[in-house]
Amino acid sequence: MNIRRGEVHEVVSFYSFLREPTDAVRVCIGPVCDCLGARDLLAREQEQAQDGARVLGVECLGHCDLAPVLMRGDAVEPELAHSTNGGPSVDLAQADETLADYEARGGLAALRSLPQPGRIVEELKASGLAGYGGAGFPTGVKWEAVAGERGPRYVIVNADEGEPGTIKDRYLMERRPHLVLEGMLVAMRFAESTEGFIYLREEYALSRARLNAALEELGAAGLLDGLQIRLVVGAGAYICGEETAMLESMEGRRGMPRLKPPFPSQVGYLGRPTLINNVETLAHVPAVLRMGGEAWAALGVRGAKGVRLFSVSGAVARPGCYEAPNGSTIRELVEGPAGGAIEEIGAIVPGGAASGILPPAALDVPLARDDLREWGAGVGSAGLQVFPASYPPLRLLAETIRFFAEESCQKCTPCRIGNRGIHHVLAELDAGRVAMSREQVEEWLDAMVATSICGLGQGAPFPVRNAFRWWPELFAPLGEPARA
Amino acid sequence: MARTVEFTLDGQRVAAPEGELLVHAAARHGVFIPTLCHDDKLDPYGGCRMCVVGVEGSPRPLPACATRVAEGLVVSTNSDVPAYRKTLTEMLLAEHLDPSPGGRPNELVDLAEEVGAETPFVLPDAKREPYEDRNRFMGYDPDACILCNRCVRYTQEVMQCSALSLEGRGPHARIVPTHGYSWLDTECELCGGCLSVCPTGAIYEKFEEGTTRPERALEKVKTTCTYCGVGCQIDLNVDPETKRIVKVTSDPTYLPNEGNLCVKGRFAFNFVHHPDRLTEPLVRGEDGELHPTTWEHALSTAAAGLNRVKAEHGAQAIGVLASARLTMEENFAIQKLARTAIGTNSVHSCEAT
Repeated sequence: MNIRRGEVHEVVSFYSFLREPTDAVRVCIGPVCDCLGARDLLAREQEQAQDGARVLGVECLGHCDLAPVLMRGDAVEPELAHSTNGGPSVDLAQADETLADYEARGGLAALRSLPQPGRIVEELKASGLAGYGGAGFPTGVKWEAVAGERGPRYVIVNADEGEPGTIKDRYLMERRPHLVLEGMLVAMRFAESTEGFIYLREEYALSRARLNAALEELGAAGLLDGLQIRLVVGAGAYICGEETAMLESMEGRRGMPRLKPPFPSQVGYLGRPTLINNVETLAHVPAVLRMGGEAWAALGVRGAKGVRLFSVSGAVARPGCYEAPNGSTIRELVEGPAGGAIEEIGAIVPGGAASGILPPAALDVPLARDDLREWGAGVGSAGLQVFPASYPPLRLLAETIRFFAEESCQKCTPCRIGNRGIHHVLAELDAGRVAMSREQVEEWLDAMVATSICGLGQGAPFPVRNAFRWWPELFAPLGEPARA
Repeated sequence: MARTVEFTLDGQRVAAPEGELLVHAAARHGVFIPTLCHDDKLDPYGGCRMCVVGVEGSPRPLPACATRVAEGLVVSTNSDVPAYRKTLTEMLLAEHLDPSPGGRPNELVDLAEEVGAETPFVLPDAKREPYEDRNRFMGYDPDACILCNRCVRYTQEVMQCSALSLEGRGPHARIVPTHGYSWLDTECELCGGCLSVCPTGAIYEKFEEGTTRPERALEKVKTTCTYCGVGCQIDLNVDPETKRIVKVTSDPTYLPNEGNLCVKGRFAFNFVHHPDRLTEPLVRGEDGELHPTTWEHALSTAAAGLNRVKAEHGAQAIGVLASARLTMEENFAIQKLARTAIGTNSVHSCEAT
């Protein structure tokens, strides 16, 4: 096969599903599961494990609505259930069992009357649609950039949802797989791509089955003629959601991010221009084209544009995935579709691990980029996590940073050692000791933000700085920051 | 030739060939940018981030080891860059438990001194599983490794082998001979190239007959490797007190080998001081034993013997076999001796096979 032993060893040791048996029991110890008793669940499972059975604590399994959650092989416990709502754009109230279901609900309209590429870019730009994986890069700008490069071009759907607290892509693939694929086909037609890929995380077994079934139906209906779509199943590595790490992974290597520039729109999969979009981003494209960019943008409130899916988990009555306008406040989501908090709220994570950690006072902050920036946070992947007052903010922060340290690919110094160092400082602080002054911690955070290769290391300091700002008393032993 | 372009380096307009790595162009213009994971033999990696510089138009600093000179580039190495360098050095020191396992130079320790960085604390998971290898030439101390991945990339990109691997991810990632086997059980040829590119001396020479001195306290004597006709340039590292050769190194600027060596050139130097080594000519006497003698006597004895064979059996009865360790010039002289002085066409070098 012309693969060297060393390469095999490097790759196998990188991915958790290659390192550990696929039929092991995997107990999620992500922050939401942790605050709902995951460590006890893990201990119980380890106690009950039969001889030789592997029971592992793993990072977020993407089923935060069911927390605490575990996987026995492909099977999720507790049993899968969806809590969601309807909406004007992706409308998760619908669950399409078949292509006929999807078409009966107006599906494939965008694909069948596709506007000219220039017009598509205009509509996307007018809609304000931006990458919903977390980076928030304007979709229209990205599509335009790829179209400007010489073919052949590839299209990749990023379905490696792994941001703690984020379950929206899974909901979409499980309930509306044809919609996701229609968005993908629009992108492929737009980019004149004949080859497309879906990079799906290993843990999403039902999504895999639903996508495969939907692809078969689309093929039988002749909608894939002349096209090749491959479902690539990842092997368990958070970092592969970073688009260049994903490309490395797809090319058979360790998922270690590439240096940018060049960007994937210029030099992507196998060195060709590649359009990479998140599942949810693509799923909104048919609605943008159907409604027109401006009308879709007008769905947003308080100055924000459009709608998106909010994953709501933690101490709420109905954890689930809900479509709501961008600019909705945290309270509107928590007290609306999520049914309200079931305990006194202690902290809120607005949009995934790197988005920040906010105090309960932020309940009325609109979930939109500009509003959250004033609070030192970001909207990220819209994985809204509600933590009870009984869960210490310092533990939440330490767990978040531990997650980053565990998932760091180890390529660059600031992410590789920065996260471990900050985790050490927090653990020491919890034990009443000071490992590093506040001033020095700030220097480390600065270096992480500025010099890390990818978003993992660049983003990890956000929750730390948020915690400094909103819970200053916890960090008083570290001393004063040197500057404002 | 690449066309020459102009760019701005710390406020000065300077010229460089288009596409040259920024770290090289800056050095030529007197701006030294430190690197740890960079090696000229290897593709740009950009992992240690020590060489980040400000580039106008880029939202973040970019690594000078992987950024290429382009017309109009505006580069700054002052502003925030020195602070980042110091912090990144502190980070590396936080898990650098053994600064000098084998006496090799340590670029991280040098850099720490230069930028005034000190170990902030020792990371609780800094200690790595020790690694013992039964090979005789190379030792490896994982506690000195900074995961710059130079050694692994050297094996992959220069040696085209996979003796070493970057294993795992997260806090437990480490560099090991593939599968954690002994080097002897991998594809390794023990060339020591990984050792030569290691910036912290985590991989080092095991000394047969050692010295207590670090490499920098040794005297270097530049010479040509005697093992084959390639003519690799090497430095014999001599202990200044005992005057014995204790290691062999080679500099990346040396041609034709660019600092690369094979297992013999790098490690098999102990013949120099070996008690079995012949240091004077010997001639077998009437008693059947070898006795020391003069070169004059030895050569005339050999010549007489060859002449006797030639007289009795003809020149073609004599064959000349040249050592693989001779240079091309010496081989030229040997074939002259064979063809004109002796008169035989049977001349060969074992390098030819």
